[in-house]
Amino acid sequence: MNLIATKFIAATGPVTHIAPSALFYFHGLTITNSMLYGWICIVFMIILFVWAAHRMTIKPKKGIIQIIEVIADFIINTIETAFEDKQRARKYVPYFVTLFFFLLFNNWSGLLPFANDAFTAHGAPLLRPLTGDLNATLAAAIVTMIYVYVSSIRESGSFRKYLSHFFVGSPLNPMYLVLGLLEMLSDFTRVISLSLRLFLNIAIGEIIVAVFAYLGHAIAPLSAVAFYLIDMFDGALQAFIFTILTIMYLAIVVNHVTAHDEHEDLTDGATPETMGVFPQNGEVA
Amino acid sequence: MILLADAIDTAIIGKGLMIGGGFIGPGIGIGLIGGNYLQAVGRNPEAAKFLGQALVFVAIVELFALLAFASIFIVTK
Repeated sequence: MNLIATKFIAATGPVTHIAPSALFYFHGLTITNSMLYGWICIVFMIILFVWAAHRMTIKPKKGIIQIIEVIADFIINTIETAFEDKQRARKYVPYFVTLFFFLLFNNWSGLLPFANDAFTAHGAPLLRPLTGDLNATLAAAIVTMIYVYVSSIRESGSFRKYLSHFFVGSPLNPMYLVLGLLEMLSDFTRVISLSLRLFLNIAIGEIIVAVFAYLGHAIAPLSAVAFYLIDMFDGALQAFIFTILTIMYLAIVVNHVTAHDEHEDLTDGATPETMGVFPQNGEVA
Repeated sequence: MILLADAIDTAIIGKGLMIGGGFIGPGIGIGLIGGNYLQAVGRNPEAAKFLGQALVFVAIVELFALLAFASIFIVTK
């Protein structure tokens, strides 16, 4: 009861945390509270999924295993519909399903009663959700985008062919060159937008729960519970969106590859394929 | 002489304007997405299966509101 009370009833102003705080130092490495909780979540995930994997049967079972199966099936179906080629899509299933569950568990971890201000060490909360920390979401976004880029280059065949996807026509044409470079620049902003979206949603969700618990005063659990439920929905939604957006970034390149002949030179400046530009003289492209 | 800027906590005004101004755009955007989704479902009930895609765009728009919210922690007097 005491744990739940400290979660909902804030005595002096809403207590908000944006940055992670250091708990202890290990050989020059700073171990923060979000890292600690992230590791706990990872260990919990490994135990849960190893346990579930040993109990999977062809005939569906009831309970937690069925829930895991349904969610995994949903993500697998999403990946397979995003790619035109199902065989190609199968290769990317393990990473993205793992990513989804990792984000889902870490997003929801901050909603548990023993997270945040329930336990404190040196005035800082002992456990904070991993995704409520910009360092963690930035790392997740960078690792995922590196995976997407490496897979894109491998699917395209060579680095030069991968770069040619950015240009609609020949790069010697100044307009196509500028458009292609802009396209490349907007490609790099994906890391920032992915990490900021996840971090802000989780961190601000917790701040809003804290603020409404403070405003509610004596009836704090009642005033905060609506935002608590929104946080639950939002945690699942953000995990889904992080996954689906990275799948789409990969699927754009992969589907572009399969749309062309293997030996077709995409950098040939004769016929741009998109942007509603059609060849003159009525000839068929 | 007391300057007006010294007498008033301008940071609070700034934060208020930031929240108000920053939430207008995403508010309109999410309204458009939701409205158009419902319109599509009204015309063709089969379109209800695209709720997931609509939510993806909601999240993309939502980022700008959250950026405005996060900026209030940066503003100090």
